[in-house]
Amino acid sequence: MIPKLNYVAPLSLKRTLKILSENKKKAKILAGGTDILPGFHINSKRFRDIELLVDIKKIGELKLIKEFKDRVEIGACVTFSQICESDTFKKFFPLLVKSAETVGSVQIRNRATVVGNCVNNAPCADSVPPLLVYDAKIEIQSLKRKRVISLQKFLIKPYSTALKKNEVVTKIIIPKPDPDFKGDFYKLGRRRAVAISRISLALLLKKKAGIIDELRIASGAVTPIGARLHELEKFAKDKKADSSTFKELSILMGKKVLQITGLRWSSEYKLPVLQQVFYQLLEKVNEEE
Amino acid sequence: MKEKFNVIGKPVIRQDGKAKVTGQAKFADDYKFPNTLFGVMVRTKSTHAIIKNIDYSEIENDKNIVTIIDASDIKGAKKTGLIRKDQPVFAFDKIVTPGDVVAMLVGVDVDELRILAKKVKIELEELPSLTDPEKSLDPDSPLIHPEFNTNLVVHHPLRKGDIEKGFNESDYIIEQTYTTPHIEHAYIEPECVTAIPLEGDKGIYIIGSIQNPFTVRRIVAEVLNFPLNKVRVEQAELGGSFGGKDDIMCILSARASIAALKTKRPVKIKYTREESILESYKRHPYRMHYKVGYTKEGKIKAMKIDILADAGAYCSMTPYVTWRSVVQATGPYEIENVWTDVRAVYTNNPYTGAMRGFGSPQIVFAQESLMDDIAVSLGLTPDEIRRINGYRYGSITASGQRLENHDVNLMKVLDTACEATNFREKWLENEKHHNRRIPTIEFKDEIINKNLILSDREFVEPEDTWKKGIGLAISFRGSSLGAEGIDAAAAYLSIQSDGSAYLLCGLAENGQGMKTAYSIIVSEILGIPVENIYYLELTTAHIPDSGPTVASRSTVMGGGAVKNASEILRKRFEDFLRSQWQLTEDDLIVFENNKIYVKGKEKFSLSFSEFTALAYKKGICLASIGWYPGPKIHWDEKVGQGKAYFTYVYGAQVAEVRVNIVTGEVYIDKITAVHDPGKVINLLGALGQVYGGVTQGAGYAIFEELSKQNGFPQELNFDQYLIPTSKDVGEIVPIFIEGKDEFGPWGAKSLGEPTLELTSAAINNAIRNAVGERYFNLPVNLEEVILKRKLRPGDIQRGSL
Repeated sequence: MIPKLNYVAPLSLKRTLKILSENKKKAKILAGGTDILPGFHINSKRFRDIELLVDIKKIGELKLIKEFKDRVEIGACVTFSQICESDTFKKFFPLLVKSAETVGSVQIRNRATVVGNCVNNAPCADSVPPLLVYDAKIEIQSLKRKRVISLQKFLIKPYSTALKKNEVVTKIIIPKPDPDFKGDFYKLGRRRAVAISRISLALLLKKKAGIIDELRIASGAVTPIGARLHELEKFAKDKKADSSTFKELSILMGKKVLQITGLRWSSEYKLPVLQQVFYQLLEKVNEEE
Repeated sequence: MKEKFNVIGKPVIRQDGKAKVTGQAKFADDYKFPNTLFGVMVRTKSTHAIIKNIDYSEIENDKNIVTIIDASDIKGAKKTGLIRKDQPVFAFDKIVTPGDVVAMLVGVDVDELRILAKKVKIELEELPSLTDPEKSLDPDSPLIHPEFNTNLVVHHPLRKGDIEKGFNESDYIIEQTYTTPHIEHAYIEPECVTAIPLEGDKGIYIIGSIQNPFTVRRIVAEVLNFPLNKVRVEQAELGGSFGGKDDIMCILSARASIAALKTKRPVKIKYTREESILESYKRHPYRMHYKVGYTKEGKIKAMKIDILADAGAYCSMTPYVTWRSVVQATGPYEIENVWTDVRAVYTNNPYTGAMRGFGSPQIVFAQESLMDDIAVSLGLTPDEIRRINGYRYGSITASGQRLENHDVNLMKVLDTACEATNFREKWLENEKHHNRRIPTIEFKDEIINKNLILSDREFVEPEDTWKKGIGLAISFRGSSLGAEGIDAAAAYLSIQSDGSAYLLCGLAENGQGMKTAYSIIVSEILGIPVENIYYLELTTAHIPDSGPTVASRSTVMGGGAVKNASEILRKRFEDFLRSQWQLTEDDLIVFENNKIYVKGKEKFSLSFSEFTALAYKKGICLASIGWYPGPKIHWDEKVGQGKAYFTYVYGAQVAEVRVNIVTGEVYIDKITAVHDPGKVINLLGALGQVYGGVTQGAGYAIFEELSKQNGFPQELNFDQYLIPTSKDVGEIVPIFIEGKDEFGPWGAKSLGEPTLELTSAAINNAIRNAVGERYFNLPVNLEEVILKRKLRPGDIQRGSL
């Protein structure tokens, strides 16, 4: 059930920040609501003590996708449906579009926001691995100051981020990647829609004459939170882009994830499958011309 | 028999469709009554315990409590049940399963009542719980209902021929064990009911999401100690049932009625999804052991079947569900020597009862998987083994019934399905590609880390990842109730003086499209346009008890009654016109397109409304009650022999899938569903049955399973209990073969359940054809495909913590 709480929908960012600074302990920001409402329903302790919901959907500037010469910005209220339909994203960030298309259902994508996906920081957040390989940054604002940190630093542990109670994430800033990068996003769910990720992977590959110049890898659902795998990325640098390297990388991935998570109930299935699908993803991206 | 039809078999848009898609249809919770109170359930955290004391002292004076209802408020039967009286309306002596309710708090504010429900102090003496049906009959297992002295709910034996002789005459013997899980009906509308006390000692009026209003009436009358005519039950528009809104709605209606009579105010109960899944009954899990003996030519000589069904905490429909299993367990194959035992036992698990398919999806999964293994062992194709053994006209079933007096279309549906899909060629081609098997990881008692890290040669190349498979399953199915019970239905048809009409049958519209099918039948006989027929709301006070709406019987039985009602009027109208127009017996009176005329004598012609105005003026009765009793059947319970059902339907489904041998994903590309439902009444309705049944069957095959921990269902909402979405099932191609039958309206029989029962077996056979591995345990989900077993988290975490 929805607890008894107050609801405000300020029309400006400034007003929002003021409300938040005055209600530090009890307020929670509401964007799409696709995590909060089911959370209320199961009486989740994360949302149990909310006394004030601050709806930011009425703030026009937060609903925009803005393209600049070197970067694109996603406002805090931009929905997954907006990403799916955006030509800018299809052109520069196809991995994010592909991940957005796998989120929930049409109805969920129409409400759920990309920023909300990051702020919620579920292990299975679909947009996080692509944003990580694109080196996304988060802009955070409070009444007194504005700060920009990398998404990687923003995500701390499952369901926990660097966002403070008096702050709002205003946008995600993504630099346009080097056009030489090829990449792909992979998601394994139990069904083909409205499915929570069991494994998600994002990777970007840049080759020079058959040699790996740069490989960026991020995982979701297999690690406690979405994360870049820098150790693997370093390992790949300057190696030949071929099956043998990809197999080595995949085995390394298996070992790394096992090291991070230890044995879990699902490891017996997930760990071998992770190595296989990662290998296949590497092969697939490598084949792309 | 009439061969050319004006309306029958054409695509007719369902009469309730527009109201439903525009949000105007009123479902149970849309009914609001002044001064309504709400009921909230009090449960324990126990699976099996003796109730020592219930203490309300902490809450009884709370301002939010209007009254508290428990077993002490019941004037009539404290325990009910459709077959065996073992289920309490409110638990008073024992807790036997986690869904059990000990009391109901009644008040205005549901949220407050839910908080108070946790403050009722229930003193329990915990008992050892019994959740493994395999242990139910052990002498040292606890008795769930000690009054019956055993946990055995029912045992159906079937004995035909000489089983030992049959095995001796066989060249080969295969033995396999198959299992199926608890399945949730997953109706989109959770349970909801309102009971309203009628002033002036008129009894109680109940409206709700009720599958079987007459069953609810019977149970509520027993509990209240009321005569049947003081319990009026109305069905609201129903948001799905699939067999699932029967027992549970009887119990909820009884609880609401007790509270309504006590408070003299309307009382509504509305379940959350979690409560619905926790307390409502499920499809029976089966453990099925099959031993089959056959010759090297492929002729099956003997089949020995041992089936154990988990009835859970209450009997519900278990004896009937398992009875259908015993009749159909061999599949549609003529086998001389059969020895079958089907047993159902009590456990502390959620109770199990009726669900679309009713004891057939389990056995079809097992026995049709087995048929393919026989074929493969002999180098035959799946269709060949079925042709060697399948029923034909005059075949004798396992229960000794000769199949006659109807088109035994098994071979026709099989051939049609094979031709439509190019089955044999595809199947043989796929069989060639098993060289790369699934890289199954051997399970050890302790997982050794290095087993989980692949070696170089274990990697699968992208082009080897997806394997195509095609699979077949066929079945026969008894129409309607068979030897389960009395089988008859009534219909009321009342033509108005302006030519419009009211129609009502004693069976219930549970979403299957029955109202439209019945209107079509009236339209065919009297020539009234379907849209001029108003189908009345079903209330138990207005129509004779026609038994439950189950067993795919609404078209065959209710349709028979509607046809009878229409024919009574047609005869009366013709007699009247013959005297009015002074016609001879040879003159043919035609009723069509809203007109009545004499063939060849066009001067004798009236619009239907002109006729009804005339007949009304002349004092002709324009209403009738039709009745359709089922033909006689008989059954010898000791040996499982007899005429089990008065007629049968036949079906064949072919599944085409792709299996990812790396992840275990199964993509269902296409299901071709060939069914002989007898005569199709509404083509759109029939197609809808196939689309829905196949999709539900696909969920049974690869997704659905309600797991339990100490009897507690673990997947309490649809974020965890996964049913197929529209993206998970590819193309569905329905094909109808219309066999002739003397029963039902123009030979129309059953379709709703056959569509579901075949799909899991067809998919399982397609998976085997794709990867060369046989799976024995439903669902064939990701882990099952890769590991051949299920993985379950100790503590399932919701998607959002």
